[in-house]
Amino acid sequence: MSEQTGKQLSKEEKDARFEAELLPVLDPLYNFAYRLTLDEDDANDLVQETYLKAYRFFDYFEQGTNAKAWLFRILKNSFINEFRKKSKQPAKVDYSEVEGYYNSEDVEGESGVASTTDMRTESVQDLIGDEVASALNALPVDFRTVIILCDLEGFTYEEMAKILDIPIGTVRSRLHRARNSLKEKLEKYAKSMGYNN
Amino acid sequence: MEAKYTEEVYPKAPDDARTADCEQISNLLDLMIDGEASPEEQRFFNHHIEECISCFENHQKQKLLKGLVTGHLKRVIVPQSLVHSIKAKIQETL
Ligand SMILES: [Zn+2]
Repeated sequence: MSEQTGKQLSKEEKDARFEAELLPVLDPLYNFAYRLTLDEDDANDLVQETYLKAYRFFDYFEQGTNAKAWLFRILKNSFINEFRKKSKQPAKVDYSEVEGYYNSEDVEGESGVASTTDMRTESVQDLIGDEVASALNALPVDFRTVIILCDLEGFTYEEMAKILDIPIGTVRSRLHRARNSLKEKLEKYAKSMGYNN
Repeated sequence: MEAKYTEEVYPKAPDDARTADCEQISNLLDLMIDGEASPEEQRFFNHHIEECISCFENHQKQKLLKGLVTGHLKRVIVPQSLVHSIKAKIQETL
């Protein structure tokens, strides 16, 4: 393996590359961890563990290849191998607390109140987001995972296959079933958005 | 291989009214909205939905569903302290 990457990196080189290539993935990685664990503390631990492993095995990471996919794969393996066992039951979380960054904005107004139309639009946006989040979080973790990877993070089927260690055909069928489930959960809401059946 | 996959994963709809083409189209829906369809599949798909209202509607619905996740699911905010914890942890385990 180490023949592929050639020479051993010095600590300085390693730290610099770690910072430049791996740390920028922190945001999507944390979001992925949160969607898997549904718990902020667990997501924190999982992300830390992932970066620790990534640092330890950095020599196996080929420069210029997909750092994001590599980290997502490590995180997903950590989640399956260790984390899932010790983590609590899928916790009920108050999503409005962690996801409410639209809301935090409109508290500040010293000028008083935002215009009524703006507030109405905002709260509709929030409602949709909340609806989607709770439907998604109610899905089995395997379904949740493919939807996050595909629709939120924009990974290709091939990348998803590598992250999840499954054939592309399985990615496709899992995604198909996941979407059907999500559709079912959103049905009531979706009707109001123009779904008929 | 493709045929086997199709049969296994998407069992035939009991509805006789569905044509074989519509069947194929429904198997292509995800590929289309995810940008994974080959040029040939895209041509076949686009040609079909120009003439088949039911497949056209299914396509719209599937796009809408994806759009709900892509456009409305809020991202959670990374705790400020996390990046420092990561760096600290790495240095201490060296
Ligand atoms: Zn049709």
